Amino acid sequence: MSVNKLKYFFAVDTRYVLKKLMILMFPYTHQDWEVRYHRDTPLTPRQDVNAPDLYIPTMAFITYILLAGMALGIQKRFSPEVLGLCASTALVWIIIEVLVMLLSLYLLTVHSDLSTFDLIAYSGYKYVGMIFTVLSGLLFGNDGYYVALVWSSCALMFFIVRSLKMKILPSISSDSMGMGSNAKPQLRLYITVATAVFQPIIIYWLTSHLVR
Amino acid sequence: MGDFEQDFYQTGYYIDDQGSGVAYYDADAAQDTLPNNLDPFMEERYSGEIYQPTMNSTDFSSTASESPGEEPPLLVELGIDFDHMWQKTLTVLNPLKPADGSIMNETDLTGPILFCIALGVTLMMAGKVHFGYVYGISAIACIGMYILLSLMSSLAVSYGCVASVLGYCLLPMVALSAFAVVYSLQGILGTVLALLTICWCSFSASKIFISTLAMQEQQLLVFYPCALLYGLFTLLTVF
Repeated sequence: MSVNKLKYFFAVDTRYVLKKLMILMFPYTHQDWEVRYHRDTPLTPRQDVNAPDLYIPTMAFITYILLAGMALGIQKRFSPEVLGLCASTALVWIIIEVLVMLLSLYLLTVHSDLSTFDLIAYSGYKYVGMIFTVLSGLLFGNDGYYVALVWSSCALMFFIVRSLKMKILPSISSDSMGMGSNAKPQLRLYITVATAVFQPIIIYWLTSHLVR
Repeated sequence: MGDFEQDFYQTGYYIDDQGSGVAYYDADAAQDTLPNNLDPFMEERYSGEIYQPTMNSTDFSSTASESPGEEPPLLVELGIDFDHMWQKTLTVLNPLKPADGSIMNETDLTGPILFCIALGVTLMMAGKVHFGYVYGISAIACIGMYILLSLMSSLAVSYGCVASVLGYCLLPMVALSAFAVVYSLQGILGTVLALLTICWCSFSASKIFISTLAMQEQQLLVFYPCALLYGLFTLLTVF
């Protein structure tokens, strides 16, 4: 939990942020998902568009809270206390998801180089999809909401599966232990897919009450 | 080795050097002589530092030049400089003029606090007594912005600088909430005005931040958190 490690996740520039947002919304044309290394340390987000960062999840989280406030204000249900309620609900869901991921990776003895900050970053990327969904729900009504929900869920599931596959699955070959102590490849695949499927559920759960 | 060196110096070849040489090379005697040798220097240095503030401060010079019964003006003593504040306000109000990095060298919090109070007063005139929320949001936002900037920038950031910049750029928001007293902001015109005000505040703030912290290619990245922060104030103003 050192500050230097945290600084790595914030070493971003404008070009990286724009490219990453494009990938989050439309990941189907992105070819190379490998995180590049430079002598055993991963490259900073400025130099590698596949590296996870914490700037986008943090900004997306705060934007989501503001949008929730605005949506509630339009529905005449706004008060500053409600903002605090929305904020703490969303924060609790992130904490739950990161804890579940950490616990499942630990219990199934999956050796990966995913640190806690990486998991927070990957679970925070769904807020970008949530913002897109809420915005189209506010602008285009219920139809727009469902279309955007389906679109961002598919994009996010694709993104999560492709990103985590690189990090969780290939560590089998680098392990020097025997096959008995490794989790079966199917279990790792299940974890990845379960994480991906969890995303639309959370998106729906946290945004539907804002658009009705 | 030490004895050997002692013998060498005690032959008296270099008498001048031996006075200081003994202080440097003879470990036993140096403990007695070092303080004595260096003390005059240290005394001079300390006395220089002791005398310096009283010679340079305007208070004492004014009391020396004027009669001993007069006190310095209250504003000078408090450190409030209206001319400087006006300079900074002009920088904020004109977002298209490039800012130089040196205006934030003296961080003063008087202007920002004045603007926060003004914002609270204009909100109160519109019927929303939200003083506590304004102060709370300002404090949390300053802390958050300070953490973000210290993580993103390679130069060191000071908390006073962040608070000062954010407070000065609150001025257009005060104008918006004064406008909201006479005309409700919930229609199309209100939304457009609110968005314009947010952009104006955030653009000024990000301009000052990147010139002070040398974060040239990250202007949009600094602009966005400032926009979020001022958007939060707009939520208070509009709803």
